[in-house]
Order: sequence, then structure tokens, then C-alpha cells
Amino acid sequence: MKMVRTLSLLGLILSWSSVIFAVNLHGYIQWNNLCPNYGALASAKVLLDAGKMSGRVTRNGNFSILDVPPGTYVLSVLSHDYSFDHVRIDVSPSEPLPEVRPYIFGTPLLMTTSVSLPYPIVLIPRHKNRYFSPRESFNLLGMFQSPMMMIMVLTGVMMLAMPYIMKQLDPETLDGLKGQQGKAASIEKSIQSGDPKGLSALLSAGEETKASMPVAKSNTGPSTLQQRKGGKANKRR
Amino acid sequence: MCCLRQLFLVSLGVTAWALHESDVGMVDWNTKLIGVPHDSPHTAPVFHGDYVLAATNNNVLAALNATDGSIVWRSIYDAEDPIMAFSHHDNSVSSLSGPGGSTLRTYDLETGHLILEKQLHSPVDGRLHEPQNLGISLLRSTNPSLNSTAYLALTNGDSVTHLDETGDTLWTWNSPDQGSLVLYSHLIADPSTVYLVGLAKSFASYTLHVTTLSATTGELIASVNIPANIKDERSKFVAVSSQTGPTTTTCVNWLEDGALKAAVLTPDLKGQVMALPGVKYDRISDFGLSTNGQFLAIKEGGAAHVMHFDAQAYSLRPIWEFGDAAPSQVQSDSHFVGSLGRDGQPRVARVYWSNAHNKAIHQTLTINLSEGKASASGFAFPFQTFDHGVVRHVAFDGSSTGETHENTRTLLTTTTGSIQLWQHDKMQWVREEALASIQVAEFVELPEKKVVMSHAVMDEEGYFERLQRQLSDAKNLPQYLANFARRFATGSYATVTTSAASSSAEDTLTRDAFGFRQIIVAATPYGKLFGIDSSNGRVLWSRVLGLGWAAKVGGTIFPTKMFVTRTVSDLEGPQIVLVTQRRADNSLVDTVLFHVNALTGDDVREEHQSIPRDLLQGLDAVMGPLVDVFMLPNENRTIVMLDEYLQARLYPDTPSAQAEFESFVPSIHLALRTDVPGQRQILGHQLTLNLELSQFYVAYPTWSLSLPPKEEIRAIIPNTRGPVASIGKVLGNRMTLYKYLNPHLTLVLTSSPPSSTCGIYVLDVVKGSIIYHASVPAAGGVCDMQATLTENWLVYHYFDDEFSGTGESKGNRVVSVEFYEGDGPDDKTKSSELSSYSNKTLHISAYEQSFIMPHGITAISPTLTKFGVSMKDIIVANRKNSIQSIPRRLLNPRRPKHKPTSEEQEEMLVQYDAVLPDDARLVLSHNYEVANVRRIVTSPSLLESTSLVFVYGLDLFFTRIAPSGTFDVLSENFNKVQLVLTVAGLGIAIMVTKPMVRRKWLRERWY
Repeated sequence: MKMVRTLSLLGLILSWSSVIFAVNLHGYIQWNNLCPNYGALASAKVLLDAGKMSGRVTRNGNFSILDVPPGTYVLSVLSHDYSFDHVRIDVSPSEPLPEVRPYIFGTPLLMTTSVSLPYPIVLIPRHKNRYFSPRESFNLLGMFQSPMMMIMVLTGVMMLAMPYIMKQLDPETLDGLKGQQGKAASIEKSIQSGDPKGLSALLSAGEETKASMPVAKSNTGPSTLQQRKGGKANKRR
Repeated sequence: MCCLRQLFLVSLGVTAWALHESDVGMVDWNTKLIGVPHDSPHTAPVFHGDYVLAATNNNVLAALNATDGSIVWRSIYDAEDPIMAFSHHDNSVSSLSGPGGSTLRTYDLETGHLILEKQLHSPVDGRLHEPQNLGISLLRSTNPSLNSTAYLALTNGDSVTHLDETGDTLWTWNSPDQGSLVLYSHLIADPSTVYLVGLAKSFASYTLHVTTLSATTGELIASVNIPANIKDERSKFVAVSSQTGPTTTTCVNWLEDGALKAAVLTPDLKGQVMALPGVKYDRISDFGLSTNGQFLAIKEGGAAHVMHFDAQAYSLRPIWEFGDAAPSQVQSDSHFVGSLGRDGQPRVARVYWSNAHNKAIHQTLTINLSEGKASASGFAFPFQTFDHGVVRHVAFDGSSTGETHENTRTLLTTTTGSIQLWQHDKMQWVREEALASIQVAEFVELPEKKVVMSHAVMDEEGYFERLQRQLSDAKNLPQYLANFARRFATGSYATVTTSAASSSAEDTLTRDAFGFRQIIVAATPYGKLFGIDSSNGRVLWSRVLGLGWAAKVGGTIFPTKMFVTRTVSDLEGPQIVLVTQRRADNSLVDTVLFHVNALTGDDVREEHQSIPRDLLQGLDAVMGPLVDVFMLPNENRTIVMLDEYLQARLYPDTPSAQAEFESFVPSIHLALRTDVPGQRQILGHQLTLNLELSQFYVAYPTWSLSLPPKEEIRAIIPNTRGPVASIGKVLGNRMTLYKYLNPHLTLVLTSSPPSSTCGIYVLDVVKGSIIYHASVPAAGGVCDMQATLTENWLVYHYFDDEFSGTGESKGNRVVSVEFYEGDGPDDKTKSSELSSYSNKTLHISAYEQSFIMPHGITAISPTLTKFGVSMKDIIVANRKNSIQSIPRRLLNPRRPKHKPTSEEQEEMLVQYDAVLPDDARLVLSHNYEVANVRRIVTSPSLLESTSLVFVYGLDLFFTRIAPSGTFDVLSENFNKVQLVLTVAGLGIAIMVTKPMVRRKWLRERWY
């Protein structure tokens, strides 16, 4: 009988020793604006390392992982829609409470950090996953805001408005301008001489239209100009 | 800086493919499932108000909406935490799970929010019993004085814990013998006393043991052995309790030599054993009314008695006899289930199959205890036994019964894994929960829409007939024109982001413009084969697999592999062959083939289809189990099966297939595992014909690879080979790295418990040489490695728990390895066509890099495209229950460790960063929860850019992914309106300027 009692005592001591060398981890999720309550978080789980030990988050945000043997662990949260920081947990037989340290994911685990986090563990939702990228939608204003379109529109406007602008200009500047244009046109022609007809013809025609437009309209201008023009025209005839 | 780099990386990855919110439900679908419900007493489905609560074989506790069958909530338990019992009380549901019932959890009934999680004992202290949930029971007791509820949990068969509502332990009682003598299985409580009833082993039989505890303190009141002589372990005993006013009286009933005996329990356990004389019973069982004083006793002839224990009179008597309950030629075995009606009176439902009516019969027994009367009435309902097998469990909503059967609700669980809710004789809804345990699944392409040719070739056709025909052919012309105009005007072409489901009402099985619509054929271990529309997840057809000769003894069919033997390009239309192992209940294993038309589910081997459809009968191809099975890449697509004697059997076994097989024999190399005691070997095999030994080709070993002692083979994964578009990689300096494209590579995963490591081998199956080998730590002794090999690229995942070295850390690692020919660039050995016996096959160089991931993964697979031109991304299912893609660019093992040089930039290499970004935009499953994924199946579509992804596990999920962007269709930001407007603008400009130009020319001519 005595023997049995000693044995049971021994067993009791052994079981106690196993209890002493394991720690229960407790903590909670700090609700914030990102994740205000359990309904938003949905089912979430707190893992140590690969998940051999884990605890679920209850409605009030608490979680506990029981019987954690001594060691160094990485604590992570499995939540479908929210990201949490990883935390390093040190459980040592000499300390009654585990040590909690921040752990930046991707850095060495045993980096000496003096920063210690409070216990029970507080986990804060860092960001909510955003799965979708916005679709580029079509709008007319946006289309006209692009530089290409602006250049196109400007050219069109200029093309139509040019004759009227020319009309407003005084004869001397016009004369100078015409001289320049003539030069430019001759250079252009020499470049384009090798070109096939068609597009280049249309282009040059456009150029010519611009160049000769003032001519057609200048009939109402001063007589000297008209005479010179007339002379030229006669020659051509 | 780190963040910036990550952002940059992410943007690199994401630019290829991004999901828009409007694409949800268009390009993807998700089916949430719960699994097939348990049918053992503590965990079988029950009605609770308008909810159906069920614990399932997939280890899920779920609440279904009884009106429409939708999932209200579900809670997924880990594999090592099996659900043992659950109970409901008012607006909460509680469960006991884990070995011996170690963990108590309570959920809110309406939302499924976890209210309480409490460990009652450490899971390692859990004891295993047979059946698993024996000795585990959970009670909710209400304390009317405190207006609070409390938990009483019997765990491990020997301890009782009393907890209050918040989960604080009030008291715990442990059996002094710790379960070695008495195994308690029943827990009954009244406000003052807790009764524990269990079986104690004595010589050659069992006796009953009852212990009473004080409900307030947990102190032992009495512990008594009732001299019962229970021989038959099957029926055991039933404990019923009956309430009269505030007091509860408990009565234990058991069978002794066919005689029903009962003992009424009092707190001090002083009482007499009563016997019911005269009637001989075969077995007794609890059918859901044990708290109301009723149980079921089956007589030896098969008649069923509903027994009632009257607490006031202390009497036990049968109150109703179902006389014809015995199974016979005309009817099946009956399911009895009891439930309380709305008036608090018991109702009993009996459901059985009648061969005479070819319908299922539902009988309801209405008992009026106060008047001592009972009446039974019934109806037949058209249960589709050819579609759903046999009823395995019945749950009954007693509160739905009334004067008529109009609202009577019954929930059936069938052998094919479906859950059906019947209201009277109408099926309200059905859930195919067998889909939660798909074993094999394959994509099958659909045929193109056929141009309707209404006329056969006719020689003599009159003018009017021809006109008539042409007119009838032209009847679709206006519609076509309208469609064309609409398409042209609005630019609404089929785009990659539109749903592939056919919009037309008449649902013909035709593919869409890009081949996104295919059929997924999936086989489940519940003996049912499904054809699922990949565009919306609907089940198009389903077939119940017949057991063949094993139907007489019963058995199960376990799918092993599925082959697509004919595709759309063949004349016969798409066909699949399902290879299964049939395990008959007399322990004989056979290999059975099912050959099915993939579009309709029709049996190909059967000439004329019977309508309505019968069971799908298979072909017993091999008498005995199967060692290996593969399909020859020939015209016939012959299936080769290796039986247990390593003989090669063919299907179809025709002379032409035989001839083709013979031409293939020299090139067939197989790696098979053999188990020598203490050591595992992989043996390479080839086939030869030796007529002295066998009339079949027999495999003989050619090489052997012995693994280190105690190293176990976990999986042999063949190379996933799609078409290879390029045999090399051109570097920035115009040199070429040639891919190592040995067609005989195989992946072997091993685990070695003594050294606590996991191994990964890449083998050449022709001569057994090891191309690559790595040994990684097994975290916590568990090998949870996931690996995939495609072309020359190997990707594997493991958890690394070694952190003691400098700069090391615990975490999930992904290792990416690429094999190239020779020593480096421009060294070409032509590995793809090289003879395997050449020495050069081992002349390779491997590039390897390791990355870390924030969460573990459960499945991994590469994408697959039609020509293999697009980049291959890796798709993983992570433990956060989402499906994620990892861009190839991030996993490139040649990422430089320094800032990329201009040459490297030209190759689009980005600087190495150990952390793989955890970007939500790479999550393919976005808001969907895709839980417990077992496999990811990828399939090419008609578009080279796009790969189809089907994921199965507990849930089903389907999506499309374009790893290199949708380069072969107009980009989604292509703006047709802008194009049309610009062209129109230019046209107007020309129209405006043309007269001006003409005028000017005219003037020039003139002047």
C-alpha cells in the first residue's frame, strides 16, 4: 500500500513537472477602425510556427494557446482578409511568463532587440486585403486630356482658323512669313522628291493650301501687292 | 527601402494579371460545401428550429438553413481535432472535439461566431476508443434559479467536467480507475444529481456500472455495479430519462438473453432490477427521444416496439408496434427517428424503401402520452434511388408535423453523399456533399457549336423544296445581322472577362469563343461521378457507380485515376475512363473501369441507353488490386494497368491496341516502390513477354534505389509535362542556357522520422540515377512538403524550424530549382532526345534559390497553356483558405543578388529578395474562402495566354489566369469608342478639307 502511495506521489510529481515546463499563452486582438469586430474578422486562428499548436480567436477577440513547451516560436495569425504582424515568443523554464518581442518577417529570428511587447499578447490588424484593382474606365473628358488628342485638336483648330488669323495680320509680316514658308516648302519638296505620290502629295497640297491661302484672299489688299501678283499670274498664264 | 523594393516587385508581378471587382462571378465561381454528415448518434444531423446542424466527415460543424439548404455558417476543424459530439441549446451550439473530447467550443447559432473555446484536457492525454466518440458526451443544463446554462462534459470515458456559461470550471470528477475498469458512455443530469452510466468488463460479458455525483459540488454520492450480463456488444444498453414536473427520473435498459431488463436510478442507487417478461428482443436502441422516456426495441421477428418509460408509474411498456419493420424482399431496413412535436408530445418517423411501390415510404407515429393513444399514418415519396443510392440516415423535424403531412420535414443523408430535405413528398433542396471529397478530377474540352445543316444530301430536289430549305436556313439571318450590327456598334465581343456560360435558354453543350467552358469530370469515394460545367459550377450530369457482383455483399468504390481517352477532335466525342478499386465487404479488392461519355455521362460500353438511367456498371478489368496505371500516348490511348503480379493488362484489349502496346514496350520505364522490412526501395521496371510465365507482358526490375533505413516514401509525383515551346533561355549576353528536358524525370518525396528530415529526390526512371536530392528539416516531426516539377523547373515548399544559426529564421520556405544542360550557357547536350543510357544525362547544372513565405501551403501546381509559350506561374493554396499565384518572375532561381546589370535587366531579372511579397492582388480567390485544398488542376484553354484553374478540397473553386497577360486578345483598356471617334473625326476632317484642297488646286490651275 505504501509502495502504491509512493508511486502515485511520484506520478503526481512527474505530472506536475510537465505542467511546470509548459506555459499557457493568452492574448487578444485589438479591434480598430480597420477591423472593428469579430464579424469583420470572421474565423481566425493564431498559430505557433507551422501550426502544431494553435488557438482560435473568440468573439471577444481573445485567444489562448495552451501547454506551450519552452522554446522560441514565431506567432502568426491566419485570417482570410486581414494582415497581422508576426510576433516572436520566448518561453523559458525559468520565467513564469513568456517574453513577447516584435519580429519583422524576413529578418533573422534571433536578432537582439531590446524592445519587448506587453503580455498578454496584443495583436493589431495592420491592413485589410484589397484584392481588386480598379478598372480603367472610358470617359470623354479623359480622352481629350491626353496630349495626343490635344495636339490633334489644336492642329485641326489651327487649320481652320489660319486663314482668318492671316487676314488679321499686316502685309509686311505676311510677306516675311510667306518668304519663309516658300523656303521651307522648297526644302520639303527636295526631300520629298523621291517619295511616291499619294500621301506626300496630299501633304504638300495641304502645305500649299496654307501657303497660297493668303494669296487668294489678298485681292482686297493694297494695290502694289495685287499688281505683283497679277504679273506673276500673267506670266504663268 | 525594403518596402519600396517590395512594392516594385509586386507591381511587376501584378501588371501581368489583375482582377477587377466586376469580374467576380464572371471569370470564377466558388462552391462552399460542408461534407457528408456523420451518422453516429452524438454527431448525426438534427433539426433545431429552422436550422439543420450537422458534423461531417470533412470535420466541419455547420448550420444549414432548412428552408433553402444554404450554409448559414460552418466551422472547419483541424484534422487532428475530430468532432466527437455536439449539442444545441436555445441559441448556441457546442461541440466536443479532439482525442477523447479534449476541446469544448461554443458557437452562436445565428452567426456561427465562436463564443467559447476551452481545453478540458491536453490532446495527448486523449484515449482512443472504438468507436471513436465512445465515452464522450456533452450536456447543457439550465439552472432555473440563476437563469444561466452550464455545461456538463463527459470526456475520455472517465472524467466529468462541469463548466459555467463563461467556460470557468465549477468542478471536475475523475474516475478513480482512470477508465481501466469502467468506461462511462452515458451522462444524464437532473438539477441535483449527475448520473454516469458505463460498461464494466467482467468475465466473458459486460456489466453495468452507475455512478452518481452531486451536481453542485461534483462529490461522489454512490457508485454501484448493476449485475447485468450483457453479452452482445452491439446493442449494449439504453439510458432514458423522463421528466415529471421538476424531477427527472432515469432508467437504464439492457438486454439479457433477449429479455429486456431495466433499473430505475435514484441518487443513492438503491433500487431493484425489473424485467419485462414474455417478449424476446433482438436489440434496443436510442432513437432521439431518450430524454423523453422513449426508446426502440426490435423483436426477434423484426417487429419494432416503441418503448415508453413512465416516471410516475415507474413502468416500462411498449406503446406501439411497427409490425412489418423486418427487412424483406419487398422492403428495405427501416430507419426510425424520434423527435418532439410542437405540443411537446413525441413523434416517431419511420422511413424505408418499398420495392413494391418503387418509392420510399414515410410513416409518422403521433403519440399522445397523456391520453395513452398513438396513431400512425404515412405517405410515399419519390426518392430517386438511381441518382442518390440508399438512405443512410434520417433526421426528422417533429415540430413540423401537424394534422396532415403537408409540412412534415425529413432530412435524408444518402450513401452517395447527398443531403436532401423533403417536405411531405416534395424535395425542397439537395446538396451534393460528396463533392467535398473529390478524389480525381479532369478537364474535358467541349465541342464547337455545330452549324445546323438541315438538309441531308438529296439528289432530287425541286425548285420549291430548295427555296423552302434555303428560306428555313436563312431564318437566322436577321438575328445574325442584328448581332453583327450590335457587335460592330457597341464593341461587345466575347472578351476574356465575360462569363463563359451560355446565355441562351436552350442549353447545348458547346464551347465558348475561347474554350473557357469545359466539363470537369470529378469522381468521389461515395460512388458517384459528376460532370460539372466549368463556366458556372453547375452539375450537368451525375452517375452512381454500380457495385457489380459486390452489390450482394456491399462494398465501396474508390477512384484511383481518370484518363481522357477521347477528346473533341476524335470522332466519338470526348470520353473518359475512370479507374477504380472496388473493396467489397468480404475484403476482396478488384480493379473496375468505368467508361463514360464526358458530355452526357452515358456509358460508352453500353449500346443503347436505358431511360430512366440505371446505375453505371463498370468492367471488372483486373481481379485484384492495382499497382500502377498509365495511358499510352498512342492513337487508341490504351490504358495499361499493372496488376499485383506486375502483369500489364490493357484496356481496351483489342488486337490493334495490343500491337501498338508492343511497339511501345521498349520505351516504357516505370518506377515502383517496394517494401522490404525496415527499408524502402524504388525499383525501376521494364516490360517483357515471357510466355512460359504469363500470357501478359510482365514487368521486371532493371535498377533499384535503396533509401536510407527507416526512410519512408510519401509520394511519387510524375513530371507535369505540357508542350515545351523553347528548349533554351537566351541570356542578356546572347548566350543560351539549354533546358534539361529529360522526359523520364520523376519526383519522389520521402520522410525519415529518425533523423527528423524530409527528402526530395528527382530521379531518372530509366536508370534510377538521382538528378537532384535535398534533405530538409521536418518541423515537429511532420513532413508537410509540397512539390511540383514542370519541364526543367522544380518548386517545393517546407517549413523550416531551424533558427539557431546566424541570420536564420523559422518560416515557410519555397525553393525554386532549375536544371540546365551542361556546365553553363551554350553547353548543349540535347537532353530531350538523348539516350537515357548516355553519360551526358547527368551532366547538368542546377540553379537554386530559396524564398520565404508568410503562410504555409497545402497544394501547389504550375499553370498550363496550350503551347507553353506563356510564362508558367505557380499556383498555391495557402492555409489562409485562399488561392494565390506566385509569378514566375519572382520565383526565378537566377535572380541576381546584386543590382541587376544591363544584361540582366534585358532578361527582365529583378534583384533577389528572400521575402515573396504577400500581396492581396495575387490572390486569385479574393473574397471567397476555399478551405482544405487537396489539389489544384490546371488546363489549357484555346487562348495561349490563359490557363484554367480548378481547385478542390472541402470547397470547389474555378478561375482563369493569364500569367503573361492576355497578349493574344485586345487588352481590356483597349477603347473601341475612342478608336471609332478618332476615325470618325479624321473622316470628318478629310471631308471638310477635301473641297478646300480641290478649290485651291483649281485656283492654282487657273491663275
